[in-house]
Parts: sequence; C-alpha cells; structure tokens
Amino acid sequence: MKMTPSLIILGSIVVFAPVLLIAVILPWVTISDAPSEIHRPRTGIEQEGRRIYVNNGCTYCHTQFVRNIDWDLGAERVAQSGDYIHDRPHLVGTARTGPDLSQQGGEHPDDWHLAHFINPRHTRPESLMPTWEFLGMERIGALTAYVQSLGFKSADYRVQRQNEWKRKAVEAFEAGPEENVRWMHSMVPEPCTRLPNPYPTTEADLKRGHRIYQGFCIGCHGPIGDGMGPAQPHLYPPPLNFTILKDRGITGGILYYQIMNGITGTAMPYFKRELESEKIWAVGNYVAVNFIGQSDAGGEPRGIAASYEPPRQE
Amino acid sequence: MTLRFLKDEPYGTTRAFFLSSALWFVTGALMGLTDATHLSAPELLAPNVSWLTFGRIRPVHTTTMIFGFVGTGLLGAAHYMIPTLLRTSLFSERLGKLSLWVWNLSIAAGGITLMAGYSQGREYAEWIWPVDIGILAAFLLMFWNFFQTAQRREERILYVSVWYIFAALVFTWFIYFFGNAVWNPGSGAITGMPDAILAWFYGHGVVGLFLTPLAVAIAYYVIPIATRSPLYSHTLSLIGFWTILVIYTHIGTHHLLQTPVPTWLKVLSISGSIGMIVPVMTVLVNLWLTMRGRLGYLHADIGGKFVMAGLVWYILTCLQGPLQALPVIQRVTHLNNWVIAHAHMGVLGFSGIIALGGIYFILPRVTGRPIYSQRLADIQYWLVLLGMAGFFTVLTAAGLVQGHSWINGEVVYRTLPQLHPYLVVRASIGLLLVSASFIGLYNIFMSIYGTRFSRNTP
Ligand code: HEC
Ligand code: HEC
Ligand code: HEM
Repeated sequence: MKMTPSLIILGSIVVFAPVLLIAVILPWVTISDAPSEIHRPRTGIEQEGRRIYVNNGCTYCHTQFVRNIDWDLGAERVAQSGDYIHDRPHLVGTARTGPDLSQQGGEHPDDWHLAHFINPRHTRPESLMPTWEFLGMERIGALTAYVQSLGFKSADYRVQRQNEWKRKAVEAFEAGPEENVRWMHSMVPEPCTRLPNPYPTTEADLKRGHRIYQGFCIGCHGPIGDGMGPAQPHLYPPPLNFTILKDRGITGGILYYQIMNGITGTAMPYFKRELESEKIWAVGNYVAVNFIGQSDAGGEPRGIAASYEPPRQE
Repeated sequence: MTLRFLKDEPYGTTRAFFLSSALWFVTGALMGLTDATHLSAPELLAPNVSWLTFGRIRPVHTTTMIFGFVGTGLLGAAHYMIPTLLRTSLFSERLGKLSLWVWNLSIAAGGITLMAGYSQGREYAEWIWPVDIGILAAFLLMFWNFFQTAQRREERILYVSVWYIFAALVFTWFIYFFGNAVWNPGSGAITGMPDAILAWFYGHGVVGLFLTPLAVAIAYYVIPIATRSPLYSHTLSLIGFWTILVIYTHIGTHHLLQTPVPTWLKVLSISGSIGMIVPVMTVLVNLWLTMRGRLGYLHADIGGKFVMAGLVWYILTCLQGPLQALPVIQRVTHLNNWVIAHAHMGVLGFSGIIALGGIYFILPRVTGRPIYSQRLADIQYWLVLLGMAGFFTVLTAAGLVQGHSWINGEVVYRTLPQLHPYLVVRASIGLLLVSASFIGLYNIFMSIYGTRFSRNTP
C-alpha cells in the first residue's frame, strides 16, 4: 500500500465517519427518552444547584448511578436510562471517593447538609470531602436543594418524611428534656426499650466503642457527649446531650435501636449500613458508661453467654 | 512586538513547543501535588479558597497534563519529524509559532476559567466553549502547516511516523469537535445517557487517538535511528496503523459498562478492547524486531532510553486495559484508584515519558549542540520512572482495598481510614514527579538558551 497524505487524510475520515455513526449517533437516536417511574423535571433552584455541582467538580468524587452489586447509599434502586433524560451534561461519574449520590434526596434533613457542606468533618469526622463554606449561604442552599432532589419522586417522598418528623422532633425538643426523652423513646419498639445490653462491659469493648465514637459521632455529640460538637450550631434540634438520659429509663436496647435506625427528621443518621452489630453495642455501651454514667451491660434478662465472654460475676 | 514572538528561525517552532511542554509539566505536576495533598489532608492547604479546592484543581491537573505537558511535547516533536522525514523544511515557522501561541493561551485560559469556577463538567472536556474553539483553531493551523509541508516534500515515500501524525491531527480534530458538542456552546454536551456515551467516545479518543499515535510516531522515529537499524517490517506498520484507527475509536463505552447504556454497545466496546491487543502488539513486535540485539545503542542515547521506558509502560498499560475492560474484573476495579493507576500509566508512563524522550532526542538536532546536561536528564529519567512505578503500585493497591471492601458490603465512608496511608504515600511520591518536572524545565531551558554555560558541563 502506497501511503500518501491524501490517502491518510481521506482514509482517516472514512474510518471515522462510520465509527461515529455506530458508536455515538446510533445509540443517540435509539436510546429511549421515556422517563423512568421515578423521574420528574427539576425545579429552577435544583437546576441552579446542579450548575454549582458541575462547576465545583463534585463529580470527580461522586458517581450518580447505582449498580446491582452495591451495598452503600441508594443500593435499593439500580439506575435506569430513563433517570437521565434531562441531564445535560451527564454526571454519571467515574470515581467513588465519596458515596454514590443518585438517591441522596431525603437521606438527611436540610440542617445535616448545611453542617456537612460548611465542613464535612462536622458530621463525618473522617471525611475527606472539601469544605464548601466559601460558596456562601445562598449557593449552599441551592446545592442542598439539588442533592435533596436526587432520586426525583422517591427523593420527594423521603424529603417530605424528613420534614414531617422534623416538625415533631422540634416540638418535643422545645418542650424540654423530660418530654424530649419521652418522645424519642416512645418511637423505639417496646421489646427494645426493655432489652439490656447482653454483653458485659470489658476494657476491649470500651476501647472499640471509643474508636467508633471518634470516627462517627464526635462531630455532633462532642468529645464529652454534651452535644456540643462543631456541627451543633447548624443543627436543630441540636445533637443530644447524653447526660439528660440519666435516670430516664435508658437501656442498652434503646441505645442500640436508636444508633441502628437513626432518628429520621433530626440530623441523627442511621448507622446500620456502616456499623455491624458488635460495633453498635460497643459504641452504645461507651456512651452509657462514659457520658450517661449508667450501663446495664451484661444485666438480666439475658440468654446463654456467648462463647467468648469472660466468666460472669453472680 | 508580535513579530518578535513569531520570529522566523529554523526549528524555532519545535524549540518553543518543547519549552512550553516543560513549563506545562511543572504546572500540571504542582496541580497534581495540590490534589494529592487535599486527598491526604483535606484542610491542610487553604481549605476555603475557592480556586484551590479539589474539584476545581483536578480538571486543571488532568487537562494541563494531557494537552499541556504531553500534548505539547508530542506536537513539538511532530513539528520536527514532519519536515525532516519529508526532507524539506517546515512550511512556515511563523505559522508554527502562531499555532503554539493559540494553543498555549487556550490551555492557560482553560485552566484559569476552571479555577474561577466555569466548567462543562465532562472529564477532559471541562473547558468552556471559547477555549474549545481556540484548541480547534490551533489544531487547524498545525494541520495546515503540516499539509503544506507535505505538499513541498522532496521525499516521495512517507515514513510511518508521518502517517500517525496526520491521522492523529485529523482524528483529534473531529473527536474534539464532536466530543465537546461544540454546536451547544452553553453546555458543551448533549442530553442523558447519549451524553455519557459521547463524552467517553471523546475521553477515550483523547488518550487513544491524540496521545497514542503521536507517541507511537516518536517511537517509530527514534528507535531505528538510535539503534542504527532499519525498521523491521512495512507490512506490520500498515497493520498496526489501520487497526488502531478502526479499533481504538469505538471502545469508549468500556468506561460505562456498569451504567444503563445499551448492551450491544457494551459488547462492542469489550470485544474492541480485547481486539486492541492487535494494533498494540503489531507495533511493539515491529519495534522490538527492529531493536533486537541493539539495546546497547538505544540506552547510550538519553532520548532513546526514555522512549524505551515509555514502550515498556505501553505494553503494561495495554495488557491491563483489555483485562480491566472485562465486566468480572470491573466489579472490583471500577470507580476506584485502580483506574487512576492505569490512567497515570497511560498518560505519564507511556505517552509522557515518550514525549520527554522525543524532546531529548530532538533537542540537540534543533539547537545544534548537545543537551545542557546529560546527568540532569538521567536524574529526571530515574525520578519519573520511580515516581511512575510508585504511583502504579500504591494506587493499584489502594484500588484493590476499595474495590474489595465495597463488594464485601463496606460503605465508602468506612474505607476512608484504610485508604489514608496509601493517599499519603501517593502524595509523597508526587514530590518525586514535581522535582522531575523542575529538573526537566531547567535542563530544557538551558539547552535552548544557555549557550554560555553549556560548554563545560558533563
Ligand atoms: C475529594 C472528594 C469529594 C468531593 C470533591 C466532593 N465530595 Fe462529597 N463526599 C466525599 C466523601 C469522601 C464523602 C463521605 C463522607 C462524608 O459524608 O463526608 C462525601 C459525602 C457527601 C454527601 C453525603 C452522603 C451521605 O449521605 O452520607 C453529600 C451529599 C456530598 N458528599 C455532596 C457533595 C457535593 C454537592 C459536592 C460538590 C460541591 C461534593 N460532595 C464534593 C468526597 C467528596
Ligand atoms: C449529624 C449529627 C449526629 C451524629 C453524627 C450522631 N448523632 Fe446521635 N443524635 C443527633 C441528634 C440531632 C439527635 C436527636 C436530638 C433530639 O431529637 O433531641 C441524636 C440522638 C442520638 C441518640 C438518641 C438517644 C435516645 O435516648 O433516644 C443516641 C443514642 C445517639 N444520638 C447516639 C449517637 C451515636 C452513638 C453516634 C455515632 C455512632 C451518633 N449519635 C452520631 C445527632 C447526631
Ligand atoms: C489497549 C489499550 C487500552 C485499553 C483496552 C484500555 C482500557 C481502559 C478501560 C476499560 C478503562 C476504564 C476503567 C474503568 O473505569 O473501570 C480505561 C481508563 C483509562 N485509560 Fe485506558 N486502556 C488502554 C490504553 C490506554 C492508554 C494508552 C492510555 C493513555 C495514553 C489510557 C488512558 C486511560 C485513562 C486516562 C483512563 C481513565 C479514565 C477515567 O478518568 O476514568 N489507556 N482504560
């Protein structure tokens, strides 16, 4: 084959054109633009928040598609092509330095996002997400509106649920500690409220609890458990001051359930995705021993001792 | 004034490209170090300074490295290879310099606007519309210059490197034009899943049809000269050339295998990714049979040495590439630092090191004297090689930690503390590359301008 400039240039175009046709234009015209069952158009402020998301490169750390092998945020709904029909540019993403955000809406109430955007370490002590305080309140508001819309109609449902419970939580908080504690505990299913922590307090257990507390709770509840962590100024109702739980019928079971399930409507997130059972008991007991000063760990009623347990003192 | 910037002097264009490339290398490396620092300690470096935030610096880093450092270096070499291989002189040095000014100013404007918070959001296509136009214009000017040079050629037979350079310019122009959706100035994108497909057609094309063919052109040029033996086979050259154009173009969807794009497109991209072994191996076998038994010559030449190292990274990248295009592998490797390791191996290890090889090989030929310091170039060689190997190891390891944790049900947040030591080591390795870039800048600057000092250095 004798290669000449025109052969190379024309040849390149002859190769390029069909490839563009097959690999880009064909899918472009054949992919359906029918909306998925959760899709809805974005509002003006959500669109504005999306712009801020694009301009500040959130997409380099966050994907917006859930795969069928996922366990993290949003794993309940695998992505569909119909979710993206209005996305320009697409924000599918290629890296999960942070979690997937495609179902972020309603995962947390707005005040959690405010604290988190101002400084992610406020609510997530070991985060490596950048701080966004420089954006100013208005743009953080738009960004929040956008992330709260991720998941479209499912997000709207979750956001609405957050708002409903927020109203009740605020009401209880404003009625004073006695009423607040009563209200929070009335939300815990009864068998749990009577369940003591089945595992006795050990040195190792408290150490583990400490480690978990530092990594997950300290930004809100604070180093001494008084609810005065750095996130506190942005959250309402503010993080719980654990000392008010003393002599108010607290049990290991209540702590376990609240940490596992969170308190929707408040900034208190659920930890069931991130902490296994042992870790939840451990951090609960750490809070009970160190901040509440009352622990029922290893108390009655309890079942057969787990095989690792040290001898019980009768 | 302008005319001084566009001074007409033999090989002036190539020299100016090389110097620009060295400057962009320093800039890009500093941006990379900034990002690596953010990832190791998010509030260490000016946490609330908008233009320094991770999300804004990262695209500046990638585009500066791809277009600025590697792209400029490779294009500079092309401005030397085209006239030399065609036995004529460059059609217009002035035009060459003009194209470089348009090119450099576009890259600079792209970086500044990104830091100011104007982005189009798609990887490697973040630059806003006016910058895209500048880049397209620069490519057109370069193409015109090459084309006119070819029209005036004394040599009737076109050497392989010339094929690759022409094809790279044609493909890159179209891929850039379509990939940036230039007809939609505001968004630079189309809508929905088709936009993801288009964006990765582009993202893949930028490394595969801009950097790769130009780097291969340098390898084809340097290896026979440095080893003093003729190219092994014309047929292999032909096969390698046409197959890369056909195959590399349509496999961009392998970046989207886990998203809801049509299955037939995924199948096409996976089979094409495996098929990439054909163009890569024909080129490498062709070059290997050319240099076989003559590695001594190659290593005696500092440029040849860089090119050889780049080719080794090319093999590794292109063995890893097809592997990680397989869905079973991507269950673990997708979305984490594994891919970042691959990206550095392709852009820095392969095309970046070959660009440096081209620069050091060609510099003496365009300045008429040896490079300023052989020793500094040697030090740079080892720093880049060590840095690259370090990056590969630590990022791959980090990626495996992430991928396996996730698949076992650990959430992203839980893996962050596990990731931390890797990210710190990665930032420290970045220091090696930053030093390498400064050494390179000094050496290249002195090779071009330092006539007074160059005589008494080793
Ligand atoms: C350097 C990478 C990085 C960048 C850039 C980044 N994030 Fe994050 N993001 C993270 C990490 C890591 C987490 C997990 C820890 C945490 O919650 O802070 C996270 C968590 C989040 C969460 C909470 C998810 C949840 O429910 O637990 C939201 C919402 C979020 N990011 C939004 C954004 C937005 C909006 C931007 C852009 C303005 C952004 N992120 C930029 C890394 C990043
Ligand atoms: C983002 C802030 C935040 C984080 C992080 C957080 N909490 Fe909370 N927590 C709250 C808020 C707010 C409340 C509810 C306050 C109210 O309604 O008055 C709460 C309530 C609780 C309660 C309810 C007590 C009861 O008696 O019902 C427990 C227990 C608790 N947190 C433990 C933890 C533990 C353990 C962690 C870490 C694993 C943690 N929290 C992390 C904000 C947070
Ligand atoms: C045979 C050749 C190659 C194949 C089959 C291949 C395949 C792939 C695949 C499948 C991915 C996506 C990985 C993932 O997201 O899970 C990828 C990413 C990437 N590749 Fe390659 N690759 C090849 C060669 C190269 C070369 C030569 C370069 C550079 C010149 C390169 C640069 C990149 C970059 C920069 C990315 C990262 C994209 C991102 O930001 O996500 N690759 N490659």
